[in-house]
Amino acid sequence: MLKLWMQARAKIRRSKSVTVILVVMFLIAALLLNVGLLVAVNYGSFFGQLKKELSPSDVYYAVPDAIYTDEMPSYLNANEHVEKVQAHEVLWLGADIASQGKDKSFNVLFQNMDEERKMSRWKYVGEHLPAQEMSVYIPDIFKAVSGYDLNDTISLTYTDEISGEKKTLAFTVKGYTEDIFFSSTDTGMMSFYLPEETYRQVSEILDHPLYRLHVLFTDLDEVKNASAVEGGLRELLNLNTASLISGDSAAMLVAIDIELIQLSRCMMATMVAAMMVLFALIVVAVCLLVVRYRIVNSIEDDMTKIGSLKAIGYTGGQIRLSLLLQYLLIAGVGSAAGIALSYPLLPAIAAVFEQQSGLKWEQGFDPLLSPLALLIILLIVVLAVLLATRRIGRLSPIRALRGETTVRKFRHNRLPLEGASGPLPATLAFKSVLQNVRQNIMVAAILLGVTFAGSFGVIMFYNTSVDTKAFAEVPGMEITNVIATLNTGKDQTDTAAAIGSMEAVRKTLYLDEVKLKVEGTEVSAYVMEDYTEKETRLVYEGRYPEKQNEIVLAGILSERLQKTVGDSVSVQFGDREETFLVTGLSNGSSMGGLNTCVLAGDYRRLNPDFQPQALYIYLEEGADSAVFIDTLKSRFDKEQIPSYTDFDKVMAEGMASYQNIVAAMGVVMLVITLVVVLLVLYFMISSSVIRQKRELGIQKAVGYTTFQLMNQLSLTYTVPVALGAAIGCVLGAYGTNPLMSVAMRGAGIMKANFIVDPLWIALFGIGTLLLAYLLSLLTTWRIRKISAYSLVTE
Amino acid sequence: MKNAIIKTDKLCKSFRIGTQEQQVLKNLDIEIYENDFTIIMGSSGAGKSTLLYALSGMDQPTSGKIRFFDTEIENLSNDRLAVFRRQHCGFVFQQMFLLDNMSILDNILAAGLLTGGDRKAIVAYAKELLTKVGLTETIWKKFPAQLSGGENQRAAIVRALINRPKAVFADEPTGALNSAAGRSVLDVLTEVHNSGQSIVMVTHDLVSARRGNRILYIKDGVISGECDLGPYVSGDKRRHEKLFSFLSEMGW
Repeated sequence: MLKLWMQARAKIRRSKSVTVILVVMFLIAALLLNVGLLVAVNYGSFFGQLKKELSPSDVYYAVPDAIYTDEMPSYLNANEHVEKVQAHEVLWLGADIASQGKDKSFNVLFQNMDEERKMSRWKYVGEHLPAQEMSVYIPDIFKAVSGYDLNDTISLTYTDEISGEKKTLAFTVKGYTEDIFFSSTDTGMMSFYLPEETYRQVSEILDHPLYRLHVLFTDLDEVKNASAVEGGLRELLNLNTASLISGDSAAMLVAIDIELIQLSRCMMATMVAAMMVLFALIVVAVCLLVVRYRIVNSIEDDMTKIGSLKAIGYTGGQIRLSLLLQYLLIAGVGSAAGIALSYPLLPAIAAVFEQQSGLKWEQGFDPLLSPLALLIILLIVVLAVLLATRRIGRLSPIRALRGETTVRKFRHNRLPLEGASGPLPATLAFKSVLQNVRQNIMVAAILLGVTFAGSFGVIMFYNTSVDTKAFAEVPGMEITNVIATLNTGKDQTDTAAAIGSMEAVRKTLYLDEVKLKVEGTEVSAYVMEDYTEKETRLVYEGRYPEKQNEIVLAGILSERLQKTVGDSVSVQFGDREETFLVTGLSNGSSMGGLNTCVLAGDYRRLNPDFQPQALYIYLEEGADSAVFIDTLKSRFDKEQIPSYTDFDKVMAEGMASYQNIVAAMGVVMLVITLVVVLLVLYFMISSSVIRQKRELGIQKAVGYTTFQLMNQLSLTYTVPVALGAAIGCVLGAYGTNPLMSVAMRGAGIMKANFIVDPLWIALFGIGTLLLAYLLSLLTTWRIRKISAYSLVTE
Repeated sequence: MKNAIIKTDKLCKSFRIGTQEQQVLKNLDIEIYENDFTIIMGSSGAGKSTLLYALSGMDQPTSGKIRFFDTEIENLSNDRLAVFRRQHCGFVFQQMFLLDNMSILDNILAAGLLTGGDRKAIVAYAKELLTKVGLTETIWKKFPAQLSGGENQRAAIVRALINRPKAVFADEPTGALNSAAGRSVLDVLTEVHNSGQSIVMVTHDLVSARRGNRILYIKDGVISGECDLGPYVSGDKRRHEKLFSFLSEMGW
């Protein structure tokens, strides 16, 4: 065994550059695999641990004091699905807070930190200081993203609901918090914990029912019953006609359950982790192809040595074991280094996720997953080595010593020069391509894998940094510029007409979101007069409703109800029920994917009180939504338009963290792709130069220049590289959306529709090809050292 | 008056082995003449092959000058030497050095097409030469591994001739062949020479050397003697005796 070990070490020492390349490739593969596994498995379980620690309720209902009645806790306590309720009085403020050099809008909940809480507790994250006057403890995301340090002043600028004046509330940051429900921008509201005295002061400043909310933390028998209970609350409050999107905040009931929170805070990390694992597996597969190539070549190169070993009594098994030890050592060192390096990288990755999730994830060494990642790689290496070394067992020592086994038997003269046309180096290169089909298939397969991953990265980058339209459609909302909620009792028709005729307005339409029941399941429904006016087309199968009693179901809902296009469903509102025909299936995550689209006329029959309120305003290109809202405010009073939503701003702020993560992932995938392409090609071409030393020497002797030979060898690799890259890019172009559909299914995206710009994909493919060609030329530059004279003297 | 195609002036070539420098060619002043079949002989390590490859632009001298027709080749870059070789030199090696992955015809065209020119004419010339050296059409499409050593060496001679070189350089062309195959190769070289081709051949084989008309004997890096054998005539015993006597005089 010691001798075999020494042989393995000696071989590694002999081929240092090859060993270094393999080690680096295993390092990349193990790094990706370990990070992917840690994020995929531990990020979710980290959230689970937080849940255990902070005991969040199954759902919370936030009810503005304007509509809150004491009947609500009574109703909840009496509800068959409710197990426990805890009500808290809090202050709510829609305010702008400086973040990354810009003012961002936040829904802030001021909570009394000294109030005792048994459900939905919170905790400090990191260091915190004792409270002083106007102290605040803010979600950790304000530190991670906005950069607020301890003792910094955080200012909240808001428009006073009574006077309409701009006012500012300033606090001193004394610590950071984690609160399952209120710590991420994606979860709607951010909790600011105030000491009792400060809370009292703020309460005096915000002394109006509009600023007051009751939050009802509620534990249920099953989380899925949250919407049924919500339905009951709505009926109790007679809120069914209120728009869910941008209605009067004073009349808005918010219901968020723990599953939605978990989905929202962990979805991005889970999705990224799935892609990382997939990408890691591609890199591992590439490594194994390279290892196999290396082993097959080294067997041929060392055939006489193998013959000698066999002749003196080594068995085939022992020789195979020595090779296995050699590659296990390389894979082990590379993978261990990759796993070790992945841990210092994790805080950076966690910080990227934190921008979106607000979760401060700290991962120490995982004694289970990291060894598992190492084991996976080593097991696959064992398999690859055993398969590649099968022939050693059958090898006759005499034939090996004579070198008979290494003489390649050429049988077919591909591309005879007699009939070929074009430049000679190119012809010889193509000849070589045809003669080394197996090797070239392997190169093409490697390029296919990495360019597939790379083009996926390009598409992600394009959709998050160049043309973000498709990315903006992911949440499933109609993309507009401004939403104005009109007062149905105050000149609504005139107001809408006046807005529609304003100079900056391109068009307006009503699009309300309401609640109804489909097949007994509580769902949200988009209501519109005419869906042909809709600009964000989310239906991926079938069409939007056109005729009476037609309905579109969100993909997740259609799966839950097991209904598809052409099926009939019962649609119920209050006591009224009608049968609708499913005409389409749509993407969309509203209400956890339980949403539908119906025509306003149909909904009006079910709910005769319904009057559209949410006016979607589409502005001319270049018009500023904030300026336009100011214009509306100066022209219409609060009675006519109670509330506005700056959709442009909401989208930009809401999508920013997602865009940053996906764009970063796209860039990382691109960079890794190119590094892998460079490593693989460098490895294979430098091996080729060594193996073809004799042929290159002969060609030099008969008068080929170094550049001609460099070109010839580079072109030999360009063919499989071009083929692999072309197929990889095409598969990437066609496969990204199906892959993203699988990855984003949980978010209600059943059929992702990311923009695939053929030009970008083509440029990526051509760029990879050019890079490969340039690298080939650089690598083959060593041919200049091969002299015709050395050929005859060696 | 013979026309010198190659002329050297104080040609030196040395190799560094470890810390020691070994001078193989020492201030050689020699001339190679047009239409001659020049044989370079000498004992092992005398510098025969080193001289051959220096004269042919395969290797660069350490110092001195080499004029090949009108070109001084000693300072040409590797790539310019490659272009020079393809235009003016043909090579026949002991190990043949045919490309294993190409058919016989392709081996020849890989050299022939390198100089450009009319593709059809080059292909026709290659076939003409192959026929001339006794390689029939059935052999043209075969790979070197499928042929005998003699057949391969004849193909190598065709490759050397395909660009109509000013000189063919042969390094022990029969060294790896049996006597029958060696004889056939020598017959081809003789025929080629008789058609006006200048040949410079290194050999330590008397039978091969007899084919040349001029023998240069190299010893310790200098030309220690020269013998003019005259035109080759098959079965000429006096020629053999003259050569043997010269070599004996040289201490062979």
